[in-house]
Formats: sequence, C-alpha cells, structure tokens
Amino acid sequence: MNPHLAHHLTRKQISKYLIGDGSPQESQHVLDCATCGGELARLESSFSQFRATVRHWSDRRSGTDGVVPWTARVEVATLKGLYGGHETVAGIGSVLIHVAVVVLLLAAGSLPPVQKAMKEFVPLFAPDLKLQPKPKLEQSKGGGGSPQRTAQTKGELPRVAPKSFVPPIRPQDDPKLALSPTIVAPDMPNINSPNYGSPLAGLGIPSAGNGIGTGIGSGRGPGVGPGNGGGSGGGVYKIGGGVSAPVPVFKPEPEYSEEARKAKWQGAVLLELVVDENGVPQNIKVVRSLGLGLDQKAIEAVQKWRFKPGQKDGKAVPVSANIEVNFRLL
Amino acid sequence: MPESALFADAPFASGLQDFESLVREHRPRIFRFLLASLRDTETAENLTQDCFVRAFKARDQFRGESKLGTCSFGTWLMHIAANLVRDHEASSRLKFWRRRLRSDVDPNELSDWIPDQQKSPEALALAKEQMEAIWRAAASLSERQRTVFLLRFVEDMDLLEIAAVTGMKEGTVKTHLFRAVQSVRLGLEERK
Repeated sequence: MNPHLAHHLTRKQISKYLIGDGSPQESQHVLDCATCGGELARLESSFSQFRATVRHWSDRRSGTDGVVPWTARVEVATLKGLYGGHETVAGIGSVLIHVAVVVLLLAAGSLPPVQKAMKEFVPLFAPDLKLQPKPKLEQSKGGGGSPQRTAQTKGELPRVAPKSFVPPIRPQDDPKLALSPTIVAPDMPNINSPNYGSPLAGLGIPSAGNGIGTGIGSGRGPGVGPGNGGGSGGGVYKIGGGVSAPVPVFKPEPEYSEEARKAKWQGAVLLELVVDENGVPQNIKVVRSLGLGLDQKAIEAVQKWRFKPGQKDGKAVPVSANIEVNFRLL
Repeated sequence: MPESALFADAPFASGLQDFESLVREHRPRIFRFLLASLRDTETAENLTQDCFVRAFKARDQFRGESKLGTCSFGTWLMHIAANLVRDHEASSRLKFWRRRLRSDVDPNELSDWIPDQQKSPEALALAKEQMEAIWRAAASLSERQRTVFLLRFVEDMDLLEIAAVTGMKEGTVKTHLFRAVQSVRLGLEERK
C-alpha cells in the first residue's frame, strides 16, 4: 500500500474521485482499501440508480403524442409577430416618440410666457382683523319660557343658579329629593311675593309665561324674559359691564376669492357672531357685505377661528361680537 | 421562396428531412436534461421544442467546433438547452409568485419511476428513499451546480464535454461539480 495514503480518503477526496478528478494515488487507494472502495461503490450505485430512474421517467414522459411536430413550431415561430417583423423599428419608434413627448413637455415648460406665468404671484397681506366691541350698559341678555297660555305675571323671582333643575312652575308632587325652584338669570331687582313670576311683569292670575322651557316669560330656556338661554331679557351676553370680550387664540387668515383677486377688490367685511362657552363661533352673520365671494371667504375663515370665551364673574359665557375682516391687495 | 432555396445555405444540405432525423435522434436526451433540470413535464416539452427551433434558426452558426475544440451536434444542442434553462430560471425568478401557484413536482414522483421493479420490497423502499434524497438535494442546488451535476451523472458527460456545453472553464466545472456532489452526499447522509 502506498505509504502516503495509509489513512482513508477524506470526504473531499471521495467527492473529487467521484467527479473524475482523483489523483492516481487516490485511485490506487480506492482499489486497495475496502472501506473507501465500499463507500465509493455505494455512492456510485446511488448515482447510477438516480440516472436510471431519471432516464426511465423521461422516456415514459416523452411520448410524442400531443406534441406539435417541430416543423410546425418553426413555422409558428417564424410567423410575423405583432409588428409584422418590424420589432426593431417599432421599438426604436416607440422610444423616439416617448423622448419626443418628454422633450416637448420640457420645451413647453421653458417657454417665456409659461415661465412668466409661473413666476407671477399675487401678494396677499394679512387681513386686518379686529374685534369691534360694542359696550353696552346692560349686562347680559337671556330668556326664559314656560309653556303656559298666559303671559308671565308679577311675582318673586326664584333663586338664581347656574343651572335650573326644578322649574318655577309645575313643581313635582312629593319629590324624592326636594329642591327649591331655580332659574338662570343675572342679579336683578326682586320683590317679595307668594308666587313665582317676573318682578317686572304686570299683575294677574299667577303664571310663568307662555314660552318654552323651564324659566319665566315668553322666551325659550331657563331664564327670565323673551330671549334664549339663561339670563334675563333677550339674546346672548354682550361685551362690557362685567362681561369680558372673547380673545381669538387661533385665527387662520381668509383666502382671497378668484373674482376679487382679478377685480383687485379690497375692503372689509363686518361679521356678527356669537362666541359660545367653548370659544367656538356660532351664528355668523354678515353685517356689512363686500361681495365678489369675499363674504363667504370671511365666514369660512372665521368659522375656523377659536376664541378664549368671554367671561362673566369668572365663568365662560356665550358672548356676541362683531369682527371686521379686511381684505387688501397691494 | 421555394423550400429548396430556403435550406440551400444550411449545413444540413438535404434540408428539412435531415434536420427532422437529427431531432429524432437527439430529442430524448434534450428532453431528459430539461425535465431533470426543471422538474416540470410541460415546461420541459416546451423548452425542448424551443431548443430545436433555436437550433434550426441558428443552423448556419453551427461550425462543428466550439471554443474548446470540436463539438458534436449533440453538444451544441445541449449548450442551447443549458442556456434555455438558465434563461428560464432567470425569468421565473422574476415571476416567482406564479411558480408559487404551480405546484412543484412532488419528489415522490421520481421515485415512482425506479426502473427495476423486480427488487425486494425492502430494497425498493431503500432505493426510493435514496432517489428522493438525491432529487431533493439536486432541486435545492443552484442552477449552475444542478446543470453540471445532471450533465455528469445523468448524461454521463466528461468534464471537457460539460465545459463545452456550459461554456465554463474546466476548472470552474470541477468546482461546481464538486460542490454539487458534496451537497447531494450531505442530502443522502441526512436521510440516514
């Protein structure tokens, strides 16, 4: 035995021998050594089994029935294609057309009028928006109502509270939790009377008025008088006399309308609105119109505004306010 | 154009009839290689046809020689087939989701084709297991390794012939073949 190969062939050597790349010594060793020879014989038999199996498989699968004769395939393959054999020309043509379109677009973009139009801009100045407070002596307005047929009569005002749980009329018989009737109203002159009613109303059969709600009067809500909501009198709170003005905290600027921009139209729109307890503008109305769509733009902008609500006695209350929206072009 | 003029310049001077007989002679081998490479009868059928169509179209390029010396028509055909396999693999890599839809060939399928059915049940079961292991290992090889492996162990080509078919240098063929054999052996041993 060759002394150089006293030990068995390595894994790699066996693989090399198997692919026909073994050295003469290795071949000799395979002949001499039963272990290596046996290992190789096993592998070779596996591979020859594999060969036989693949051949068997392929022979059974290659039945020519159902296969188009190759001559027919050649003819099909040599038939003119979608572009009648001019695929190269068609391809180049397609590329040229695309390049031409792109070049055209770029050229159009670099034309002087287009460039000029792109550079042109209309300077917009921030509109001069200022709240226009309307000081009024009367503190606030509100209203109350009660669904009775006759108008409210003279009587003592119920206790004033932030919220009316029990209306002055129709007290429930035998309540589980007794509460004295309350209304939502400012401090106002009161009288002593066995009946609830409005201190300012005339005498008559005791009545809390013919409005809607739980207050007193012809209005709507838990207050006194002909207005809406709490308070006395009619309407929402006005700025002044203990009612602070709402302060805008978020005021996106209005856009110019296309028509006004073209007409170089300038001016101011005066809006009237109510800022509710949450600082959200409500009931926006145009007091002085400017036209050309600017009214609408002003309303749209002011709708997005948010305010720190007006306060009365440290409490946020709905306050009406006027806002002037200025539109100016330079 | 009359048919005789169409084939006048071809090395197969007698024309279509002669090529037809060449096809008959080489078709099983090409089909076998493609089937073993792609493991899909339908694709193998198609590519076999494509292979002969290509050969026919390029028939005037066949000089009976290659970079590495003389080359038989069979080697030349096998070269085309190997290229087709490579192209097919490259394109099917792009549309891998389509391959997902098509069920891969069950390795059991090959083991059903073990030729000598006279063996004892035990030997048959063992042979089946071996075939499955080799088949699975071969399927997981890279395209090049599988090609050289199949050419060597199914088509019985020597290293020079494989080099001519694949267009690789002999040393490269050796490397690929060596790695393929190592992987397949590993597959066979894991089975145990």
